Amino acid sequence: MHLTAFAVSTQLARLNWIDILVIAIYFAIVVFIGFYLRGSSNTSEEFFMAGREMTAWIAGLSFVSANLGSLELMGWAGSTYQYGILAMHWYWIGAIPAMLFLGIVMMPFYYISKTHSVPGYLKLRYGDGARALSAVSFAFMTILMSGINMYSMAIVMKVVLGWDLNFSIWVSSITVAVYVALGGLKSAIYNEVLQFILIWTGALLVPILGLIEVGGWSNLRQQIATNLGRSDYVHLWSTLGHFSDNPMGVNWFGIVFGLGFVVSFGYWTTDFLVVQRVLSADSIRSARMAPIIGAAFKMAVPFIVILPGLLALAVLPFHLVAQDVAVQTGQHSFNEVLPLMLVRYCGPGLLGMGVTALIAGFMSGMAGNVSAFSTVWTYDIYGAFLNKKATDRHYVAMGRWSTLIGVLISVGTAYLVQHAASIMDYVQELFSFFIAPLFGTVILGMLWKRATKEAGFWGLLAGTVTSISLWLWVRHDPSALRYVAMSPDAKHMAENIYRAFWAWIVCVLVTVVVSYMTTARPVAELEGLVYGASVLPKEHDDHWYQRPIVWASIVALIFVFLNIVFW
Amino acid sequence: MRESFSIWWFAGILLLAYGVVICSTGIWELSHPLANPPVLNNLHAPIWWGAMLAVAGLGYTIGFRPRQTVNKRRK
Repeated sequence: MHLTAFAVSTQLARLNWIDILVIAIYFAIVVFIGFYLRGSSNTSEEFFMAGREMTAWIAGLSFVSANLGSLELMGWAGSTYQYGILAMHWYWIGAIPAMLFLGIVMMPFYYISKTHSVPGYLKLRYGDGARALSAVSFAFMTILMSGINMYSMAIVMKVVLGWDLNFSIWVSSITVAVYVALGGLKSAIYNEVLQFILIWTGALLVPILGLIEVGGWSNLRQQIATNLGRSDYVHLWSTLGHFSDNPMGVNWFGIVFGLGFVVSFGYWTTDFLVVQRVLSADSIRSARMAPIIGAAFKMAVPFIVILPGLLALAVLPFHLVAQDVAVQTGQHSFNEVLPLMLVRYCGPGLLGMGVTALIAGFMSGMAGNVSAFSTVWTYDIYGAFLNKKATDRHYVAMGRWSTLIGVLISVGTAYLVQHAASIMDYVQELFSFFIAPLFGTVILGMLWKRATKEAGFWGLLAGTVTSISLWLWVRHDPSALRYVAMSPDAKHMAENIYRAFWAWIVCVLVTVVVSYMTTARPVAELEGLVYGASVLPKEHDDHWYQRPIVWASIVALIFVFLNIVFW
Repeated sequence: MRESFSIWWFAGILLLAYGVVICSTGIWELSHPLANPPVLNNLHAPIWWGAMLAVAGLGYTIGFRPRQTVNKRRK
């Protein structure tokens, strides 16, 4: 049967049997891996932590892939069309320094504490209060994000291929549920590595052929300037002097300190969705190298996400519009820019691989969310507060069931969003409520012996309440943005990064003040948890070039060089 | 003793399968031109891209093929 039998009214492209074969091969391998690994996830250490036997390369690629969801791929390509090359900041300064910091500074503490999760580390450092707050907020938001991602992918598949929403949602989510519930984190990680390779092989032709069509990077810049009548779409830093000088309505302070420090460090060093991948490493050296390897690949991702958005500005014969306008007028929205470019350059077979790349992106994002949810639910909520003395086998069974239930709640969220689309506008922001203050709590806990149990809880709570309050203030009175982002010219993106910045500041201040008002734990109790109170295991590298710091320095130099090139 | 599959072997199989399918499609299109060809169809991207994937996939499939191991799993 021709798959486009699922088609609805209008659609961008039709898949033929070659494309369907390409997609079917992918699904067959993914499910096979789940069944194959079923036998090697019998204990909780195997199911939730992949047996802590992943090499640096596997953990590193999985670390990046779990973040490379469909919303990430299509959303940032769309943002590039909307705001220009400034979107690249979310891949470079908004990721690379934090990933390197995780590998060099923070990973040893996560690893030697033998924690199973970030809330688990908070339990060891601050006690049950901070753990419960962070575990509940993480579990709730993770599963919500998973549903939002699912709905986003289903919408694109409907627009591009005419696939029915129910078909996309159920086939993808059942597949993810099968391979994660069977093989646990190891199955999710194996598939994430495959999905990472697929995303690259499926999407790489678009920028290559696009650059050939426009005649290279210089011609692309000229073409964009001609089409838009402005040149600020292709500069990374030179337009960030003031909020009104660039299409995004941000300034350099917000990008460097709000995005580059708070948001980025919050996400890449404390979001358990990504940190879990690194915790599965087979040694402390692998755990330190994994984020560095991930950073190197993350730095290259703009080639398949940002560049297609810029190419669309130069070559598409029509103009893309915002999602709400697209719904009313029948035009294509910003978010469809990546599928539009795929259809432009890819014929049968290649189009199937490109669509598979989008599906793979969605599945890696969802598997990441669901496996992290399952771990936090089982270890930090169920095992910590509801049933503390169950057997290891019972917790593994709970992990499998919570995976399935997590997928079902995600599906429910996807349908909820279908009837209340405005939720989608807010969910990214809702997620950021918890991440920025969490970074303040974790980093003080790791680097400052004086931080106390009470301070950890109240600092985290104060930071979260600050973030939510600022968000409500701007929703209630949009002109308040001038105070939150410190400029009347600030736009939506500036609000997000400044709100995170203030939340982090409040979290740190409250943690410090409360720490001095309460009794610190004896230093002996902080062994393995805090810098200055822990003896880190010696790493023996045969050669100087095997040291993580050497590779981190190389990645950092390339990062600086690229920022100067695209200044 | 057990035989184990490396993740890189899976990657090799996937790339090899995709390479063969896409390269074959590109060659077939030489004699059966598309009714609505994509932009830059004259570059025959499916042929060279598919061939590159197949070569890379073949390398990984052979290099990481399953071997008999004793109590040690190769990833």
